[in-house]
Order: sequence, then structure tokens, then C-alpha cells
Amino acid sequence: MPFERKSELLVRAMLRDAIRRMASGWRKNLICAALIGTTFLTVPPPARADDPIKIGSIFDLTGDLNIYGIQQSRGLHLAVDKINEDGGLLGRKVEIVESDAQSQQAKYTQYANTLLMRDHISALFAGLTSSAREAIRPIARRANIPYFYSSLYEGGACDKQTFVTGPSASQQLGVLIPWAIKTYGRRLFVMAPDYNFGTISTEWIRKYAADNQAEVIGTDILPLTVTDYSPTIQKIQQAKPDVVVALPVGANQTGFLEQFAAAGLKQKIGLVSTNYGSGNQQIALSVDAARGIAVSPEYVSSAKSPQNEAFKQAWQTKFQTTDPIIGPAVDVWNAALLWASAVKKAGTIDSDKVIAALESGLSLDSPNGAITLDARSHHLVQSIFIAKGNDKRDFDIIETHDRVGPAFEQKVCDLIAQPQLAKHFTSLNDAKSR
Amino acid sequence: MEVDLVAITLISAVASAAVLLIATLGLAVVFGLMGVINLAHGEFIMLGAYAALLSTRAGLPFWAAIIVAVVLAAAFGAMVELLLIRRLYSRILDTMLATWGLSLVLYQAAVVVFGAVTPGLGFSFSSVNIGAYGISAYLLVLIAVAALLTAALYLLLTRTSYGVLARAAVQDPQMSAAIGIDAARINTATFALGSGLAGFAGAVLLPIVPATPGMGFAFVVKAFLGVVIAGPLALSGTVMAIGVLGALSNITASVWSAVFGDLLFFGATIALLRVFPQGISQSWRMKL
Repeated sequence: MPFERKSELLVRAMLRDAIRRMASGWRKNLICAALIGTTFLTVPPPARADDPIKIGSIFDLTGDLNIYGIQQSRGLHLAVDKINEDGGLLGRKVEIVESDAQSQQAKYTQYANTLLMRDHISALFAGLTSSAREAIRPIARRANIPYFYSSLYEGGACDKQTFVTGPSASQQLGVLIPWAIKTYGRRLFVMAPDYNFGTISTEWIRKYAADNQAEVIGTDILPLTVTDYSPTIQKIQQAKPDVVVALPVGANQTGFLEQFAAAGLKQKIGLVSTNYGSGNQQIALSVDAARGIAVSPEYVSSAKSPQNEAFKQAWQTKFQTTDPIIGPAVDVWNAALLWASAVKKAGTIDSDKVIAALESGLSLDSPNGAITLDARSHHLVQSIFIAKGNDKRDFDIIETHDRVGPAFEQKVCDLIAQPQLAKHFTSLNDAKSR
Repeated sequence: MEVDLVAITLISAVASAAVLLIATLGLAVVFGLMGVINLAHGEFIMLGAYAALLSTRAGLPFWAAIIVAVVLAAAFGAMVELLLIRRLYSRILDTMLATWGLSLVLYQAAVVVFGAVTPGLGFSFSSVNIGAYGISAYLLVLIAVAALLTAALYLLLTRTSYGVLARAAVQDPQMSAAIGIDAARINTATFALGSGLAGFAGAVLLPIVPATPGMGFAFVVKAFLGVVIAGPLALSGTVMAIGVLGALSNITASVWSAVFGDLLFFGATIALLRVFPQGISQSWRMKL
């Protein structure tokens, strides 16, 4: 930790002063030499072949965003357990060096630097918010370490070192918005959080609405600290939409869904979301508020498949909980297993070779279906489900869309033809790309 | 401009102010009256919310759960006062540090014990229609609750012997001791009263603010600002400050956006403190 360094330096400076005062001549030189020699004890010895391979993890284990972070961290631990049980990688065990970002942006950059410089990690699994990802991306790029971002997001991240295993807006909204327009009507109202995920997703909703002869008639972009949603609910009632697209992030914005239902709006207006449920918000809501909310996740905990049953069994045994497992946890699990299979394919942990292996079209049979890592865009081709909240604090799958590609990312981002690309594409700068 | 839109905007504004007032009254007693900066006030609210939530899940009716929450929060407050606050009465910075540490401990303890997401209340409330607009019936109930609570607190602190003793022990501890008032015990009781009010807030707001470990943070900043602007008359100043600022920021948020609502709240705070450095009630002639 940087903290130790500071106190070490302080102690050494104090000792130096003390010695300067009491010793003289050759004795002082001898003591100074001994002190300087001790600094070499802090330099890590060169790694030996049977040392564990270290990977870094930074998730929000505390703070408002821990509804996602705790499960993401668990997904990583479960995956690494599986990798180690299957014999490790290249004959070595995999070890996680974990940090808690505490739902604070600044901690992400701080810990990313610490993990890279102090622990010499071979891969980084970090981030929930898009703002965290954008802060870490350049750090991973400079260090040339594969960085896995495992959460749903607004799409468009394009960087040689960055691999995204969460679904992008073009995948989720591309499936959800046409379904919502067909089911509820053509007038949409958007409630979104006030940072890049919310604002860029809102632009995507406008685009997909326009593509389907519908219209976004109003938006309310809210900071994560708001708990009083009566202004938003009034705006919605004034605008009279057919469906509200809500993108609640964090524990506070769950209150919007409760207050929406309490105002009696669910009888008249549909409610859909891409990220509701990705933090198990349906557990905290009353049953009336949770019933009928339609979502388009990449993973539904109640899905019936052999991989999902095995995954859930392992999870429940290790963590002693039967709470539903959220999408971001499975995204992290997928990321870790994809990285492991790339390391095995490359035969080394050298970053350039591992990245080349990741770009060779890897596939996996995952708890959320068959997934493929798209070589050029570094995003996943995966299933997207349409699910509705039920009375049992869980979701029922209504439709399954298999092998949904990240259409936008595949259009604008080709990291094999243009390996120097390092950009965050949005629908606003789409016209200028390629 | 339609009549029902104006009506719903005003009623929502009053309801929003009522919610904030319920959360702030505990701090008005602890900080406004006693002068103790309790940075763990948000966590006391959170404790009340979890106590009520667990009681309802154990089968108690909601009104009984609220009573459980109040009693538990008051008892916890008394304990905190005896162990922590009592030693730091004239040391403002140390009180801030100690209560900030307490807030961190309570928050993390809640995460460890309850987890990040807890099953919410099993029931919800009906809505009421005002013209073409709907509003949760519970918000109207909360307006009544806020009014009753304020009245009850005023009567308690001005018409009962405990109230007189409490105000005396705070205003002049040495003279109170000289005439035989046990200031230490009265202060414990007053701090417990403030904590109990915070617990009540957490419990009563449960249907609209889901219980999470960090729920206190949402109220703490505005509560402190309200009590600071309130000035020497803790109760009437707080009611006026929170009532006006809470309502105005809600209306601004309805017309523009939540960010402008907050800007108005904080901007007005700065302006009011510039004009009334001691608080808005500095020249009022009321008892409390």
C-alpha cells in the first residue's frame, strides 16, 4: 500500500537525522550504507516459475454500488477456484489481488496503479460504472495488460487492451426498445442516471425509437444522490407516455421504481429497463412495484440449463446464499474463463501473446448460454433475454434472443485492422467513425 | 396552466418538505438544541429503518414495527451518549471525529450483517387521484405525520417538566447544576430523544425509501444545512428552513431538473447565512 511507503520514508529520514547528529566520519558512512542496503529488502525478488500468476481485481465492495460489486468479486473468486481446481494455468496457480473501490471514482485509478506497479499483475478485472472504465482504460493501455470490463454499459469502448464481457446498449436496447414499442406504444419517457452511461444510453434510446417510428417525448437525468422522485413522477404524468424506460443505478434510484408504483402509474404506463435487476433491486422492492417490469439482461438467474445449474450449485455452496445471481457476476466469470483459455492457448502470460489469443475467436459454454468473444470489437456475441418481474422477487423469461452481436461495436471498432484505436464511440460521433 | 397540475405540484412540494422535516427533527434536537454535531445521524435513521423492516418481516403490524424502531434507536442513542458523547461536550471537532467514525462503523456493520440488498416491505400503499394526476396516498399521510410530530415535540419541550429541564440543562449547565438539575441524565435523555426521532424517521419513511446501508447519506447533508440555517430556535427555525427550502427545491426540480433543485437549496443556504449569520430565527421571539 502507498501508506507503508510514506511511513518507511519517514522512518528512514528520522533515522538519518538521528545518526547525523550522533555519529561522525566513517561510522556515519557505515550506518548510512546499512540503511540504504535495507531499501533493497523492499524490492520484490524476481518471480520464479512456480509462483502463482497474479491477477488484479477492483470492485465496489462497499458504498452505494456494492449491490453489484460484491457479486462481481464473488464471480471472479468462483472462476479462479475453478481454474485452480482444473490444474491452474501453465502449471501455476492463479491468485487474486483484490481492492475495494468503495464506490469512489478516484480509488479506481489509485488501485489500478498500485496493482500494476506493486503487484505486477498479469490481467485486471475491474469496474462497474462507465466512468470507472474510462478512468482505467488508459492505465491498462500504458501498462499493456489485458483489462476486462464486465458490466452492462452504453457501448462503444474500443481499445486494444480492453475486453468487454458485459452487454452493450446496442445489444440490450436493440432488443428491448422494439419489443417495448410493439407491446406498449410509441411514446417513450426516459429516466436515467446523470453520468456517461445514462446520457449516452438515452441517445441510443432516441435512435432506436426513431428507427421504429417512435419518439422519446421526455427525459429526466438524475444524479445518483437523489431520493425524492416526485418531480420526475410529475414530469412523467405531464408527458403522458406509453412506456417509461428506466435505467436505475445504485441503491437510491431503486426508490424511483417504488414511488412510480405508489403513484399508481403502473396501470397506465409500461416500465422497461436494461439494468434493473442487475443489482438484485427486485429483492428490495415491494411485490406490487416489482411485478411486470420488463428487462433485457444477458443473464437470468432462474434460467434452466445444465451450465447454469452447475454454476448456481457451486455459488450457493461457496457463498452460503440463495439470493439470485446477477448479470455482472456472470460477466466477470466469463471474463476470467476467457482469459484463462487465452493464456492456455498462448502458452504464456506475456500480454501481447495473450491479447492475440483473445483475438482468435474464443468461445465458451457459459451459465448464460453460448458466448463468443468477437475478435475485432473485443465484445461478446451472447444471448439477450426479455424477462418480466414476477411475484416471487425474481424474473420469468418471456423471450430468448440467441447470438445477439454487438452491432454498433462491430461496425465502428476493428482492433485487428486498426490496433492503435483507443476511443469511446457513442452514437453522437458514429457518423465520424470509419 | 391546469389547476390539477398546480395542485399536484404544491402538494408534492409540501410532501417532500414533510419527508425532509421528519428526517431532520432528530437532528434539530441533538444539534439545534444540544449543540452536539452528530455525524452519525444518517446511520440512526438507517438503524430505525432496518429495525422496522425486520419487525414487519417477523410478523408485527407496521405501527408496532415503528414503535420497536423508536425504542431501539433511543436505547442505542442513550448508549452512545453515555459511552461517547458525554466525554466530548465542549469539544466540537472531537465530537465530529468521533461521530464520523461511529457512522463509518455502523454503515459497514450494516453491510456485513444485512448485506447490500435486503428484501423490502411486503406491502405497498394505494394512490390518490388529483384530477389527472396520481400521488401516493402515503405521501399525504406523511404530511400529517410531520405536522403532528412537530406539534408533539413542541409541547414536549415547552409544556412538560422534562422539556423545561432539558432546555435549562442545555442553555446553562452550571446554573442548572446549582439548582439541583442532574444535567448529565437529562442530556442522555435528550440525546436519546433525538436518536429516537431519527429511528422514527427511518421506520416511517420505509414505504418510500427502501432500507439500504447507505440510506442515511441522502438526508444528512440537507438535514444539517436546515438545522444550521434554523438558528437559535431549534424547532421553529428548522420547520421554517426545511419547510421553505424543501418545498422550493422540489418545485424547482419539477419544473427544471433535480440538479437545479439542489442548486437552489444550497444557494439559498449560502444567501440566508450571509443575511442571517446566526440563523433565520436569530431575532424571533418564540419559546423554541
